[in-house]
Amino acid sequence: MLNHIPDPIELVNYIDDGEQARHFQFRLLNIQKISEKSTVKSIDKHQWHNAKPGQFFMLNVPSIGEAAFTFTEPPNEQGEFRALIRQMGKLTRTLFTLPKGEVLGARGPFGRGWPLERIAQHNIIIIAGGCGLAPLVNLINNFTATKSRNLADNQQLVLIYGAQSKAAQLLTTERMRWQKQIKIYNTLDEVEHQYTLAENESQGTPVDCIDSALASFTRPVTIALLCGPESMMQSAAKRLVKSGLASKDIFLAIERRMHCAVGLCGHCYLNQHYVCKNGPTFSWQELQ
Amino acid sequence: MEVYQLDDLTQLQQHLLVQHQLYQVIKNDDEQCAWQQQTKEANEPLIAMLPQSSAKNFFFAEHESLLIFNGDYFQETLPTPEPFVLFGVLSCDLTAISYQDKFFQDDPYYQARRKQCLLVGLDCIQPCQQGFCPTVDAGPGVRQHNADIILHPLANQQWLLITTNDKGAEAIKGLALTTSHWHLLTQRDLTLRQCEQDFPDHSYIINGIDKLNSGEIKDSFWQQLAVQCLGCSGCTTLCPTCSCYSTRSISVESEQNKVIKQERFWDSCLYESFQREASFHNPSSEAGKRVQRFWQHKFGNEFFTTFNRHGCVGCGRCEQTCPGVIGVHSVMKRITNDA
Repeated sequence: MLNHIPDPIELVNYIDDGEQARHFQFRLLNIQKISEKSTVKSIDKHQWHNAKPGQFFMLNVPSIGEAAFTFTEPPNEQGEFRALIRQMGKLTRTLFTLPKGEVLGARGPFGRGWPLERIAQHNIIIIAGGCGLAPLVNLINNFTATKSRNLADNQQLVLIYGAQSKAAQLLTTERMRWQKQIKIYNTLDEVEHQYTLAENESQGTPVDCIDSALASFTRPVTIALLCGPESMMQSAAKRLVKSGLASKDIFLAIERRMHCAVGLCGHCYLNQHYVCKNGPTFSWQELQ
Repeated sequence: MEVYQLDDLTQLQQHLLVQHQLYQVIKNDDEQCAWQQQTKEANEPLIAMLPQSSAKNFFFAEHESLLIFNGDYFQETLPTPEPFVLFGVLSCDLTAISYQDKFFQDDPYYQARRKQCLLVGLDCIQPCQQGFCPTVDAGPGVRQHNADIILHPLANQQWLLITTNDKGAEAIKGLALTTSHWHLLTQRDLTLRQCEQDFPDHSYIINGIDKLNSGEIKDSFWQQLAVQCLGCSGCTTLCPTCSCYSTRSISVESEQNKVIKQERFWDSCLYESFQREASFHNPSSEAGKRVQRFWQHKFGNEFFTTFNRHGCVGCGRCEQTCPGVIGVHSVMKRITNDA
């Protein structure tokens, strides 16, 4: 049976990032103890240790409700995990007021993440806009971790990251770290007069950078991973197809309102799909 | 499958009432039909009339508690209903229950109710006003796999009683019944076939479904149709296969403690806010897109392959309730003629 019941988590810490966004650190509490109490008998346990890059969890802020967020770091052996969350609606506004130590809830992991089995050995272009970089953090971290660098020999990874303005950019520390190993193009929708663009920055949208980014690969790109505003992803996917990428090799992480995360409540429909269950990652071919 | 002849329906009702709560469709003073609980003291006659609301509320509750949070942990609040009988469910509604059984097969709340229920189906031997169950393979005769017991009216106030599975056979154990002659089953088939023939011509529904799946219908048609959608949720509330829901948190305070309850409640994909996100991005902000999605969900081939049938069971409730006159008959006629 499906599990609608969150596990209790503790809000351990948070760090501000960009405009009205925060990295939250959570910790799963007393899972064993709860199970011993047999408060949840009839249902499957949440498989936290199986979380894959691009999957999501439902955060329960008890007095408000639930909303879907992606892991920037999946749960480790101590049950600690992180998420980058932007203040947007009632639930996140409340979350941003909560003190460290507060007990909340979480269900997950849910959905189909990035197609890891398809990514290995291939040259990858990642195009992300705004908070859309969050579902890719875990993946890029895996590829660029100094101790267990997972990029294969001759495998290239290039990131195009777009933000509205310099102040709105997220994950600056991470991008600084990544750019020691991978090429990053940063685009800004708006640039203030007095601001001088850095070497890897340009004014415009991520789509404007696609041609330059593709030209920087020594061997052809075969996989594209996209996440951000839907209109940006659609434009990017069309441009990539024009540049010769196959629709089946372009993957988009789709955002929809979700209540149940298990394909029942209907809110996240996309044609015949439910984004929570059949996605959030879809190939461009599936979305045609 | 066992087949019996039943002289007195009250006998069956009384027998089932010993171990079950029993619900039956009753016609109220205002001529509306609705599900009502029956007692041993008063057994109403069985009527083959479509109740205003289907039986979906018995399994997929209009609103129900999912869990409570006591400040430390979350506790599941599964329903624990007594065994109950839905006595005299018509074939269209039974088909809808079968559809929802599949959709909610892994949902613990739905299944907690469903496993407690005995379904006694009732054959329709006359077409109803808005129904078109034969067109969508949902009636008028009760499908064997959709009920535990099937009742079929015979002449002289007698009934044919068919048990379709072990649950049905177990439920009538101890009841004095006469094994039926098999020719009465043939009689049942003939009666049902005649009933099918008595339905009006609904070929526009078949044509409409074909056209809907052809991809030929322009966005402008849906936009025009959607002008008449008031977003009242009448259709989705009464549709026996509609299953969308939302959740909300409610604080429950007593003298002893304060807990937070999370509920789920029926929602409607025709509401403007159904897909609206916290950022106000709304993939279905256009009414035309929402109306199109509703009908595609009922008749689209992409859903047929999942459920092995259409999402519409031909009850006609949407036509009866829609204040904008865009229920199934009106829409299918317009798709056939104008789209």
